[in-house]
Amino acid sequence: MGLEQYQGDMNMCCRCSACKWVPMQRVSGYQFANVCPSISRFNFHSYSGGGRMNIGAAMLRNEISYTDRLQHIVYNCQMCGACGVSCNYAMDMNVMEPIYELRIKCVKDGKTLPALDQTIEGLRKTGSIFPPNGKRGDWAQGLDLKDAAKDKVAVMLYVGDVTSYDPYLQKLARATAKILQKAGVDFGIAGNAEVSSGDRAYQLGYEEDFLNQARKNMDYINRNGIKTVVTADAESYQAFKVLYDKYKLRGSLQVLHITEYIRQLIQEGKLKPKNNVDMNVTYHDPCHLGRLGEPWVHWEGKKVPGDRFVFDPPKQYRRGSNGVYDAPRDVLNSIPGVKLTEMQRIKEYAWCCGSGGGVGRSNPEFAQWTAQERIDEAETTGAEAIVTACPWCQKLFNKTIDDGNSRMKVFDIVELFEQSIE
Amino acid sequence: MALHKDIYREFEDVVGPEYICDDPAIMPSYHGTEFAAVILPENTAQVQAIIKLCNKHRIPFRPVCTGWTGKFAPGFLYIDLRRMNRIIEINEKNMYAVVEPYVITAQLQAELMKRGLHLNVKGAGSNCSAMLRGHGHLDQTTSGDDRNHLAIEWVTPAGDIVRSGSLGSSDEWFCGDGPGPSLRSILTSAVPPGVTPGVFTKAAMKVYHWPGPAQFPVTGVSPNYQLSEIPPNMMARYYSFPSVEKMWQAEIKIGEAEIAFELMGFNIAMVAANISTSNEQEEENFKRLSKEIQGPGFFIILAGNSAADFAYKQRVLNQIVNDNSGKSVTSLEDPRTEGILLCQCIRISASIRETFRPGGMFKSIPVMGQRDLTIRWAIGAGKAKEPLIEKGLIVDDGGAAFGWGVEQGHLGKTEIFCKYDPHNEVANQAVEDWHKEQSDRAFRENYFALLIGQAVEDWHKEQSDRAFKERYFALLIGQNAEIGRALSNYDKWWNEIQKSFDPNRVSPEGGALV
Repeated sequence: MGLEQYQGDMNMCCRCSACKWVPMQRVSGYQFANVCPSISRFNFHSYSGGGRMNIGAAMLRNEISYTDRLQHIVYNCQMCGACGVSCNYAMDMNVMEPIYELRIKCVKDGKTLPALDQTIEGLRKTGSIFPPNGKRGDWAQGLDLKDAAKDKVAVMLYVGDVTSYDPYLQKLARATAKILQKAGVDFGIAGNAEVSSGDRAYQLGYEEDFLNQARKNMDYINRNGIKTVVTADAESYQAFKVLYDKYKLRGSLQVLHITEYIRQLIQEGKLKPKNNVDMNVTYHDPCHLGRLGEPWVHWEGKKVPGDRFVFDPPKQYRRGSNGVYDAPRDVLNSIPGVKLTEMQRIKEYAWCCGSGGGVGRSNPEFAQWTAQERIDEAETTGAEAIVTACPWCQKLFNKTIDDGNSRMKVFDIVELFEQSIE
Repeated sequence: MALHKDIYREFEDVVGPEYICDDPAIMPSYHGTEFAAVILPENTAQVQAIIKLCNKHRIPFRPVCTGWTGKFAPGFLYIDLRRMNRIIEINEKNMYAVVEPYVITAQLQAELMKRGLHLNVKGAGSNCSAMLRGHGHLDQTTSGDDRNHLAIEWVTPAGDIVRSGSLGSSDEWFCGDGPGPSLRSILTSAVPPGVTPGVFTKAAMKVYHWPGPAQFPVTGVSPNYQLSEIPPNMMARYYSFPSVEKMWQAEIKIGEAEIAFELMGFNIAMVAANISTSNEQEEENFKRLSKEIQGPGFFIILAGNSAADFAYKQRVLNQIVNDNSGKSVTSLEDPRTEGILLCQCIRISASIRETFRPGGMFKSIPVMGQRDLTIRWAIGAGKAKEPLIEKGLIVDDGGAAFGWGVEQGHLGKTEIFCKYDPHNEVANQAVEDWHKEQSDRAFRENYFALLIGQAVEDWHKEQSDRAFKERYFALLIGQNAEIGRALSNYDKWWNEIQKSFDPNRVSPEGGALV
């Protein structure tokens, strides 16, 4: 069906500009009221969520054709979903889905960017969206972890592309594994057999490449009788939990983000953080764990003829209400010595780190501009560190801090939690 | 329609290449209109330079803020004021705030609340410019329309910078009328065309005492926001009455007693819209609430400056409501619902849920004047909606109008609208006909209905006519002439004034701050 299925949604856009701001009740001052990096950086209305709706609708009416500017608009978006949350406070319409479909249409029409094509070529060749560096499972050396394909484990730790291959971030995989070991969880990893979850391919609009990855992963999982996947990579979490479900590939697989799992293990008494980690921190909600981590809602029906935009059966919109917001905070608050101070834009209306949607590859300056805005916001809290729950966020924050003059440190929750239980 | 490349370059030299664009790809998001270009100035100097170039090349322009729905003429230069987004000053002592056009109301309001102040939030919503002229829920205590504009920095259609009121003589923003040039009726005209030619680049907005918290204690996740507690000195209620006359008498008494922080003559359909997070829920709530009311009603917020003041206001309100046989809708007294309504009506000014969500579009007729008279007109307009509701062409809101007292009821505003699906041609035409008939009736019966917009719409119907400027001006002048005949031929004076400010006719539509 593609973009066409969202024609009604796109036509609903009333150009109120709510998509540019955090929900109005959450505007707490002049600063940090913006929520969309793209319109904030490029200013023309076309770069807002509503502007993208207008463009999609115009494309369906064949009123515009591809230009360099159109591609600039389409690909300079982190696909963070903040516009949809702010819109859906008041409006009943899908926002993110047509934006994804617009990218999928661009790919089908061959209107892509060379940097993104190159990224996808890499994925096709290596099974990783992040350029490989050694063997995928090298990070696990010396940890004596089970092989999920051989050892019949119920829980598989899925590591993800960037954590597997980025030498700096491999420590996150090790910390995660150690936490699970400490809790006595019977888990395994796919090691060198692990492949990309396909999340980035989907974000870039390469739907077929995403589906290839999804099928490979689900084949592996089904073949090995795995019941639960745990991951610390927020984008992969969203892929397994939401996207695989959207495409009816997930079946009954349980998908947990590591913060959800740690919280559960604490509640079960299997993990007890004891050691002080004296640090003032602020927490950055990764988009794919937070608002985009909301479960997929399957719906089939039709519009009820008449005056209202209502459907039979009623359509449930994914408004960001059911993302994962509390688990990471609960885990942080469980660590002795950690003092959490919130930023102004949090949870469903958090500002994106800048990394998503392929922007880090196609327009690194814009990605870092977005990250800098978040770092500036974090600094206003007085915290000494930003804690996040996604390696992509951590990587971009670190890069931006290294290139700038902030003294802010960046950690993943698993790093701090592991210190507390060592 | 595109600008000649040499002319484009001249504009580009003003703002830089990043801030002007004539690519067709951006036009769908600019009202689907083929503008000559969209330009994003950063400051007053750039606005002035742009307007001077428009005059030099006879290019019509239209300045716009957030750019909520509107109809625009192709071929214009669209001045998107998005980059002019600074709060220049909040003067707590003299109670005003100076803002640029793209500071939205929610931003300014949040800053003001921290300082024990607030401002009139227009009906268009807090997502719109803080310097917007118009009416809103808080008109009861803050007045509306041009009353809240103090000194203004204005770039005229000819490209001159004019500083009105006290700013013209003292670099102070405290007064719109002087010492210095008072241009109030020109800058913030309340009669059609109701728009100011040229561009407001800064305006001082009057601010008021805020008795509420520095920040509402909002909890929950969107769209299910609630208040963790109702501020102890605030209360929100909806009262229904057995008749319009009783409701109106209660409104008058409340105004005379000056007890209301906000008095909003919502119909119950609008209450249902505001407390509902989806269209389906709204329908259910409307049906439920319709059974709980005895007739027309209003929504009221009390805010006490002290516990004693709050108690006094509550007692007076109860007395007035009882005297007029009013009845509270008790299900709305639930603190969860009360909190939603407080936030919706103070912070958001409702708007999107109650207008665009159901069908995607609404068409409205606002009528200014004494409330008891305008309500009578609105009842007729509501009856005229009923056949459309029965045919399923517009959303069922019981045919009701809404409105409120302005300045404690000295003046009033009544409004009625139809919500519908604009992509349904039959509905579109039916609403169009209703709008024209009822606007004409308002005019014939000497109500002051805002008819502006008709000229623009008529022009759009004729947009194949490339000699658009001549026709457009003729339509505007014709529109104003109709009203002018009833108002001392003011339109002729207005036309002369406009000519002197806009000799090259580059700013025919004025600005749109929504």
